Amino acid sequence: MASKKRGDETDARNEGPASSLLDVDALRRIVELLETTEITRLSWRRGPERLLITRGHGPAPIVHVAPAPASTLLPPMQPVSHAPRATAAGEAPQAAAPAAGNDKKGNVVTSPFVGTFYRTPAPDQPAFVEVGSVVKKGQVICIIEAMKLMNEIEADEPGMITEILVENGQPVEFGQALFRVEPA
Amino acid sequence: MFRKILIANRGEIALRVIRACRELGIRTVAVHSTADAAALHVRFADETVCIGPPPSRESYLNIPAILSAAEITRADAIHPGYGFLSENADFAEVSENCKIRFIGPRPEMLRLMGNKVRAREAAKEAGLPLLPGSAGVLDGPGEAQAEADRIGYPVILKAAAGGGGRGMKIVRGRDAVTAAFATASAEAASAFGNGDMYIERYVEKPRHIEIQIVADEHGKVIHLGERECSVQRRHQKLIEESPSPAVSPELRRRMGEVSVRAMERIGYNNLGTIEYLLDERGEFYFMEMNTRIQVEHPVTEAVTGVDLLREQILLAAGEPLSRKQEDIQMRGAAIEARVNAEDPVTFAPWPGKITGYSVPGGYGVRVDSAAYENYTVLPHYDSLLAKVIVHAENRPLAIARLQRALGEYVIEGIRTNIPFHRTALADDAFTSGQYDTRLVERLLASEVGTRRLRQAIEETP
Repeated sequence: MASKKRGDETDARNEGPASSLLDVDALRRIVELLETTEITRLSWRRGPERLLITRGHGPAPIVHVAPAPASTLLPPMQPVSHAPRATAAGEAPQAAAPAAGNDKKGNVVTSPFVGTFYRTPAPDQPAFVEVGSVVKKGQVICIIEAMKLMNEIEADEPGMITEILVENGQPVEFGQALFRVEPA
Repeated sequence: MFRKILIANRGEIALRVIRACRELGIRTVAVHSTADAAALHVRFADETVCIGPPPSRESYLNIPAILSAAEITRADAIHPGYGFLSENADFAEVSENCKIRFIGPRPEMLRLMGNKVRAREAAKEAGLPLLPGSAGVLDGPGEAQAEADRIGYPVILKAAAGGGGRGMKIVRGRDAVTAAFATASAEAASAFGNGDMYIERYVEKPRHIEIQIVADEHGKVIHLGERECSVQRRHQKLIEESPSPAVSPELRRRMGEVSVRAMERIGYNNLGTIEYLLDERGEFYFMEMNTRIQVEHPVTEAVTGVDLLREQILLAAGEPLSRKQEDIQMRGAAIEARVNAEDPVTFAPWPGKITGYSVPGGYGVRVDSAAYENYTVLPHYDSLLAKVIVHAENRPLAIARLQRALGEYVIEGIRTNIPFHRTALADDAFTSGQYDTRLVERLLASEVGTRRLRQAIEETP
């Protein structure tokens, strides 16, 4: 779910850590920091901003910065820091999922409808899956609650869960990425 | 008062609701399909929820998805706009059961007015004049024939569940009734899943006059005068104005009083519009009632100074009517042109990307639109692109102002019906005020009309 705040909550905007982070100086510092480490790949995401740095054998790191694909008409919106998943208005969720998928291996499981995401069958029970879980086709991997109904979401192919992209109890919208699964 | 309103719609009306909410200090939730992620209503709302794929059935008509969106965002009311779920009684009822206020009339009002036969019966009981016609659903071609003979020709057969001109047939003579009944009933069955028909007198030069109703939750009802919507093609309105050149102060008073009394009698609440057919002799007859905000509401806002969206939200929250009937005065003349993304000659929808865009402005001009430069008009939804509304001291000035405004409107990359509007506004029948619902048909068939239309296309910026 995309959540934006304006007007009465302008202070959240003025703090603006997201807006100030990706300037040239910041990028230089990140790159310099990476030079001193063994890290070959850094993927960073905050609201509509994405940063992917991969370091090959070449002398300089390759830097991709994906800005919010906002329309030309309006300036990009700054997401609030505690938004569950801030999405610029110009970014379609369906477009977001494949974009995220390009960064990493594996397929993305998206939410088939609007509702609330639950990782467990009941509050006191263990999660359906964890990162590293191997799932069979048709295995229940989470629940989306909509209209007081608990809808079990199944894996549509066998594979291993490599990432869980949503927090337990978080609202999700149609097409929102939930899991990354590496096909078996 | 509501804290947060979810808008179950898209396009210009979703923006209109967001604007009203902003001014009232109410937070907004936009819902949208995946195709509308870059839409202005999504951009301007405080929160947004993607509710489904592009087809309306799976997104803007998807009741569970919309209610889930209201639930996860904790909205306490839903504004349905017009079209989509705005007159869906089940949606209104389920919303209310979920403790989410549906901004509109009570579900039973939607149900009553949603069926034409029941609406006519209710209107008759409430004292509204009806065109001479069958008392209810016809049981077959035999009864259709008998009723037609009784009413007198020409008559019109209409689908009980109908709308938008489908399932309608004009019958000019006795020998054509049986065949017309079969065709219209079959058309109605395929379009609405219900082949029930009724019959009534057919008026040769009808004018479409509608009365704006405003009612609170405490039994108080007023009217905001009339709108004339006779410029229409296949029952799709194109130009609307208020006041109507065909309505005298005396006729307005009569139509208003009858309407208000009927609404008091049925216990109507919130906004509504009673559509009447006005015949050549100045008699008016109930056609149907729309239980929602209308596309053409801005012309009423212009002449009465009442912000209808703001009023609608306040009324839904239980506020009493802020004005008495005697406080309502109509000032000057207002006209609205519906700018559609369509070919000005064939009226075929024309989706695509707007590559250049400049909106008209200046004194007395209002443009309600969700379009912008680089906006893509989608093939999934209706073709309404913008409403250009002008207000002036009098009708001739309003016509000149609308011509001027339309002449300034730059929309590149797609086709629009602006040349058609410029032609219609220049037509003698329109400028003289002596027109009826067949103006468009006659205009497109006339040599002067087609020549003017060609010229207007050439002059379009």
